[in-house]
Amino acid sequence: MSEIMPDPRINRRAFLGRSATGVGLAALSSLLSPASDARALPHAQPKARRIIYLFQSGGPAQMDLFDYKPGLQGRRGEGVPTSVYPDDRKTTMSADQSEFPVAPSKYSFQQHGESGMWLSELLPHTGKIADELCLVKSMYTEAINHDPAITFLQTGSQIPGRPSMGAWMAYGLGSENADLPAFVAMNSRGKDGGGQPLYDRLWGSGFLPAEYQGVKFRNQGDVVLDIENPPGVDRATRRRMLDLVNTINAGRYEIVGDPGIPDRIAQYEMAYRMQMSVPDLTDLSDEPESTFALYGEAARKPGTYAFNCLMARRLAERGVRFVQLFHQGWDHHGSLPRRLAEQCEDTDQASAALVLDLKQRGMLDDTLVVWGGEFGRTVYCQGKLEKDNYGRDHHPSCFSMWLAGGGIRPGMTYGETDDYSVNVTENPVHVHDLHATILHLMGIDHERLTYKYQGRDFRLTDVHGRLVRDII
Amino acid sequence: MISKTLHRILSIGLLIAPMGVVSRVEATSGAPSYNRDIRPILSENCFACHGPDGNARKAELRLDDPAEAAAVLAGEESAGSEVIRRILSEDPDEQMPPPGSNKSLTVEEKEIVRRWAASGAPYEQHWAFIPPQRPTPPPVYRKGWDANPIDAFILRGIRQAGLQPSPPADRATLLRRVSLDLVGLPPTPEAVTLFEADTSEDAYERVVEELLDSERYGEHMAQGWLEVARYADTDGYQNDRLRYMHVWRDWLIEALNDNMPFDQFVIEQIAGDMLPDATLRQQIATGFNRNHRINSENGAIPAEWLVENVADRVDTLGTAFLGLTVSCARCHDHKYDPISQREYYQLFAQFNNVPEWGLGPNDGNSPPFIEVPKDWPNLVPEEDRKITPEPYTLREIKGTALRPEPGSPSTVMVMEEMAEPRPTYRLNRGVYNEPDKSEVLHAAVPAVLLQAGERAPENRLALARWLVSPTHPLTARVAVNRYWQHFFGRGLVRSSENFGLQGNYPSHPELLDWLVTEFIRLDWDVKAFQRSIVMSATYRQTSVLRPRSLERDPENRYLARAPRLRLSGQQLRDQALFLSGLLMNQVGGRPVKPYMPPGLWESVSNATYEQGTGDELYRRSLYTYWRRTTPPPMMTGFNSPDRDVCMVRAAKTSSPLHALTLMNNIVFLEASRKLAERMLAESDDVEQQIVAGFHRVTARYPSRDEGDHLLATLLDIRDGMDEAAARAFLQIGECPPETEADPVELASMALLASAILNLDEVIMRD
Repeated sequence: MSEIMPDPRINRRAFLGRSATGVGLAALSSLLSPASDARALPHAQPKARRIIYLFQSGGPAQMDLFDYKPGLQGRRGEGVPTSVYPDDRKTTMSADQSEFPVAPSKYSFQQHGESGMWLSELLPHTGKIADELCLVKSMYTEAINHDPAITFLQTGSQIPGRPSMGAWMAYGLGSENADLPAFVAMNSRGKDGGGQPLYDRLWGSGFLPAEYQGVKFRNQGDVVLDIENPPGVDRATRRRMLDLVNTINAGRYEIVGDPGIPDRIAQYEMAYRMQMSVPDLTDLSDEPESTFALYGEAARKPGTYAFNCLMARRLAERGVRFVQLFHQGWDHHGSLPRRLAEQCEDTDQASAALVLDLKQRGMLDDTLVVWGGEFGRTVYCQGKLEKDNYGRDHHPSCFSMWLAGGGIRPGMTYGETDDYSVNVTENPVHVHDLHATILHLMGIDHERLTYKYQGRDFRLTDVHGRLVRDII
Repeated sequence: MISKTLHRILSIGLLIAPMGVVSRVEATSGAPSYNRDIRPILSENCFACHGPDGNARKAELRLDDPAEAAAVLAGEESAGSEVIRRILSEDPDEQMPPPGSNKSLTVEEKEIVRRWAASGAPYEQHWAFIPPQRPTPPPVYRKGWDANPIDAFILRGIRQAGLQPSPPADRATLLRRVSLDLVGLPPTPEAVTLFEADTSEDAYERVVEELLDSERYGEHMAQGWLEVARYADTDGYQNDRLRYMHVWRDWLIEALNDNMPFDQFVIEQIAGDMLPDATLRQQIATGFNRNHRINSENGAIPAEWLVENVADRVDTLGTAFLGLTVSCARCHDHKYDPISQREYYQLFAQFNNVPEWGLGPNDGNSPPFIEVPKDWPNLVPEEDRKITPEPYTLREIKGTALRPEPGSPSTVMVMEEMAEPRPTYRLNRGVYNEPDKSEVLHAAVPAVLLQAGERAPENRLALARWLVSPTHPLTARVAVNRYWQHFFGRGLVRSSENFGLQGNYPSHPELLDWLVTEFIRLDWDVKAFQRSIVMSATYRQTSVLRPRSLERDPENRYLARAPRLRLSGQQLRDQALFLSGLLMNQVGGRPVKPYMPPGLWESVSNATYEQGTGDELYRRSLYTYWRRTTPPPMMTGFNSPDRDVCMVRAAKTSSPLHALTLMNNIVFLEASRKLAERMLAESDDVEQQIVAGFHRVTARYPSRDEGDHLLATLLDIRDGMDEAAARAFLQIGECPPETEADPVELASMALLASAILNLDEVIMRD
């Protein structure tokens, strides 16, 4: 197998030998996303066994959705003081504006659930699950442009080359399913089909071996690249071909003696099984009507956010460790009120449905659901402030996220920001802290999940990160 | 459904599962060597708090500096070695490394550090910072191993590990190996047959010569350097705008094919523009340092991204030439290596004088760039002269940012020095807007790398020349190690990206130094150097694993057998195209857009992939358009680096997803179809057709058993296939069929060909 790296999986291979002679298939799961034996993971009893991360790409406006600032209504059009918002952290898209007028949210807020969580009228369905959520209003990050910010949130570094969160999880914990990868990524786009682009590195494995990268489920063509046999080739023919390949490979193994050959034979068998398990996964004909009532009719249509949420639940049911959806289109520099409402229409019901669905199935306790983007948006208006229209620029120093299930304290609003929703004033949560907390819920000590590269023990949280005990 | 044979094989797999590992054999007896035994332990466990980084240092104790460490280190525990006492202590308040640091020493490590301290704690300068001395090869008393000094060193290691070298590989295997290694393609069946029949003494040498002279050589060797040089056809951030750097890529292929000496290769890429009477080619070579990503995101701050551009050049210099993680010193003093933050910014100053804006233009080349003459690469002498790039002009797009005017598709980005250097300051925490303006830093290099009496290079050209001075401790070591990695799958220094204190100690330190001095003795002649590697008995061994060799040395550190290496995604694609007769032989030119899964770009971005047609579908993989944020999945799926940053080493692992690609991807299916046409044309006899196809792909003839299986499978597939299915299959790929064969006959043979292309021995090189 690996000719370059010292093989940390020699024991696993011996285990594989046993499993193939009848001990069971479980060990084969390690083939697709082999957890490293050397990690001794989990470090502690995990609260969550899997994660569904609903990434909202572009930077949702926190003060229009979560961070209720009724006081701003009276300051409409006033300049945001530079004491609150210094000039040197404005992007070049708005830094040269002559003024920075306060743009209060156009949308009203209501309290929800027993905790009385304040949420925007744009999120009625989220309101219904308020008692399951921990709303964190005090997130902050370091980058002000999309690429470095989203790369930072996904990998813990603005500079590319590090593994993504899901890749770390796949590396540390492996998969619970013999026929599916440990880490699956999907994406969907907003109504106008636009949105900021995504990049492979967001679900990439960085310096970890490629088998830990997220397997991208696609919206067109094969769900997993090249999963389907070509036209004219049925399953029986494929079986016949595999038998030939495996037989000749097995014969070569007797001569060559490379333990990588039995590995490859097992991998071809697994690919064959995946060819069954993936279509089974995406075939929604076994879903009752009630599913679509819950997630919305859009869940029938591949490529929608709702479809991906439903797929996330189906993947979670099958033991996939880390499912990450990316929904594009939250980058509202202009026409924010209309476009934000459209985004919420596309996502609110399905996000809430996913949490409810997991709860009904008894899976919410050990499934961590995370909702959030790469940064927040400015309280000042980008462009001209009009009666019913405004835009907001990128804003790294505070933004909101919510988490649910998997050991998170439900019905809680955490952290505070100033009157302008510009700076965190209470219980700040850095991106590294979020990573540390997510890993902790998965039973992983973020300081101990490391990978040696360039002579240094790298981790998701770099040399930072603090467990946010208050929310677990 | 796992067959009986397979069950049996897997059980055998269990029986011979490797048990022991030869490691630190040397370390358990005799006097400990600081470089080999002690430094790795101290560096890993102690230096982060007691090393070069002054700000992180605890208890004012430095263990990397013998003068400072002596007082607390040397001597037996009882005689006052505080460090040893703390290392051996079981008291959590005293123990070092402290509990909770996630660091700990094994019993053996404690013992060897104790013995070293007891013997007076003799330090040595880090091995990689000492200029190499040419060692005398050990005497050899083994036929076939006595001609090439490489073999003398390797044989000694094999013997010391209690192993025996392997017999030579059979001729066909050797030919396939050396072909794949030198030109990236397998041999033709005719070449295999000829070579097997040619018993003359220099048959192999002549084959090697032929391969080194092939134009395919430069293409293949360019592949790895494209990854080092983070070459791509897009800018790499956010919308990932396009750029035009293929002229630089073609310069590279030409330089490799022309066997440009490595010292010149380095000088031209780092500072070709500054050479006296620089040629256009030398100027184009400097595109190496413009291949980094360039941000053009709306709202980005030019000053911030200017710093990132320069930082990337420093990082690349460190990884590609010095084999040092210099970028660790960007935010603070290096934690392990003696490189201060100030020195980092002195290196930074070497690359900080480019007349660039910081942001890219949004599609097109970023200044500075030059217009490439129309008839490139065929230049008349007066055209082969450096062109001074025009100063950039900025344009304003409302509400975004000031951007430079882009360079057109007929330009290429190059390096250029500003008349007035841009002042360089140490950046606090490495952040662009926190310069320490108390001191302007001038271009230099880390002092630890300077030899006694050597002046620090003060500009980019001096830097380039310094890199390849014969006494430079790192550049040649890093280069020969990467060549070794190319041919053996792993470097003599396994961490080919890091020769610093945290890097691996060489498996064969004397061989490494012999190779370095040999490379310099050969005047940096790359082909001559590589010839000596592939001519060695070490290289020519069989890759068959004997149980003892697997058990004693599972990582094949001692090379008592040839390694089996998995082909890269690029090689697998090129091989399939070559075997099927589809591969287009054309060197260089614009990048091409072969088959790509539908919607791959469109689903995540606003870019549209417009697939090429005709010949463009069948060019070698290094010409495939490289969009950094969505690279070709069949290449990255097989561990190809994504070209965001400089990479000199990639893991080569295997995954079930590889099986899906090789079984179902259009590239391999179309190749199977065309390969089947070749097979059918070989003979009227079906068995002959099968044998010919198998031999073409594997470079060996099937055994009788294998032949039976192949034929039985073909007949089974054929019997189960109707004409409609066959016709549906034959639609795959754009290359029209060139045969009158019956569709079922052709399609079933194509599936057999596909199965053969999926064999382990085809995915690997033995």
